[in-house]
Amino acid sequence: MGYTLVYTQVLEFLPYLIKGAWISLQIAILAFSGGMFFGLILATIRTFGNNISNKIVICYVTFFTNTPQLVQIYFLFFALPEFGILLSPYIAVLLGMTLNAAAYLCEIQRAGFLSIRQNELDAAKTLNFSLMQQVKYVILPHIMKVLFPPLSNHYIIMTLGTSMAAIFGVEELTGRAFNINSETFRSVEIFSITALIYIVITFIATFLLAVIGRYFFKAKIRIIQ
Amino acid sequence: MPQIEIKSANAFYDKLHVLKNIELSVDRGEIVSLIGPSGSGKSSLLKMLVGLLIPKSGDVYLNKTLVNFNNQSDLRVIREQIAIVFQQYNLFQNMNVLKNVSIAPTKIQKRNPKEVNDQALFLLEKVGLKDKLESYPDELSGGQQQRVAIARALCLNPEILLLDEITSALDPELVKEVLDSIRLLAAEGMTMLIVSHEMSFVREVSSRVVFMDDGSIIEVNNPKNIFESPKEKRTLDFVGKILKDK
Ligand SMILES: Nc1ncnc2c1ncn2[C@@H]1O[C@H](COP(=O)(O)OP(=O)(O)OP(=O)(O)O)[C@@H](O)[C@H]1O
Ligand SMILES: [Mg+2]
Repeated sequence: MGYTLVYTQVLEFLPYLIKGAWISLQIAILAFSGGMFFGLILATIRTFGNNISNKIVICYVTFFTNTPQLVQIYFLFFALPEFGILLSPYIAVLLGMTLNAAAYLCEIQRAGFLSIRQNELDAAKTLNFSLMQQVKYVILPHIMKVLFPPLSNHYIIMTLGTSMAAIFGVEELTGRAFNINSETFRSVEIFSITALIYIVITFIATFLLAVIGRYFFKAKIRIIQ
Repeated sequence: MPQIEIKSANAFYDKLHVLKNIELSVDRGEIVSLIGPSGSGKSSLLKMLVGLLIPKSGDVYLNKTLVNFNNQSDLRVIREQIAIVFQQYNLFQNMNVLKNVSIAPTKIQKRNPKEVNDQALFLLEKVGLKDKLESYPDELSGGQQQRVAIARALCLNPEILLLDEITSALDPELVKEVLDSIRLLAAEGMTMLIVSHEMSFVREVSSRVVFMDDGSIIEVNNPKNIFESPKEKRTLDFVGKILKDK
């Protein structure tokens, strides 16, 4: 083999990589938040909507959960210009990931809606809880607990998925790792450090999500699963 | 003076006509028991009184005041006076036992937290759950959950108590204890509507017994008559069968 690990040279690039991680994090947070919001609307339609609106949402979800994310972004990036819509790589990736996330997060949030226990709401009503108090004391803590594991899972998948942006030339973490690699050829060091940074950012995110659920919504969430 | 008065009330679950022409009045301090076969509408009648099942026609009066079930402030008023123990307990799964009992008195009735806490502890001790204060409902047996639900209702200091099958999940020893507390409350003059299959208890404690079948009230009578010489054949069949099964 004869490969000796030399981290010193690569460590010089650490600030450069961390700036890339910041961009990855941005894409993940923006796409996740957008997906949560759009997904919430879809889930509401799916739960309370009429037949036609339901079918439209089902088509949307089926389409986005049954085609590769990469193809979806390729479409936005390469096919939309044919219709005169030009997106920058960053925007194409962000939009693609948001639309994709909306489909998955719609399903996850819908499961949360369906898991609300009518029994508990009945009790809350007869105890004279106002609608806001029902949401605060009964609905949110329950939903947060049910939704926390699948949501944080999906968030992690999305964070890791942001590495796809490198294909389109966005200089996020993976893109930058690739750049350094073609300059220094220290592949083992570069990609091991890159992997480590991904672990750190996903772990921080899971932890933050759990803290929010636990202390703001009083949900019984175990932080270390 | 009737504290609750129901006049030809009809209620539906979608197309299911679940309460048919219900006529019933309950005096202050009275204990009225509801008996009848499964699915006859006993729970539904209790739910109507707390506004979880809105009557489509007919009138309900509470303390001589007509209740408008579509008016939020009317609903608030009846729910301030009436507490219900549900057949399925309906505890808050994300709150421990103590919190289940104390949340409404503190957050809704806005009573002094210390005083509420003392009362909650007293009630939970009375129902034998002093060592389960920190437990969550899913860590409790059915009978234990049922007792939490009873404590939760009592901690509201209601004027009227609706009890739906509160002994169904209890073992005989506990049944005796819970029924003793009910007797005590009765002696203090609380008005109660009790759904029960516990015929000996019904017979002993009730001032009147209502027999329901298929959404209608078939017969209202005093306990002695209902069990020994009912007016209606359907009552006789039901009572005869249930006493024979014992
Ligand atoms: N939420 C609901 N939606 C639709 N139908 C319901 C609902 N709750 C009860 N029903 C129906 O209404 C009828 C009366 O039910 P209810 O629970 O009042 O009976 P019950 O006399 O309390 O019976 P049990 O002794 O088994 O508790 C039944 O036919 C039941 O299937
Ligand atoms: Mg019932």
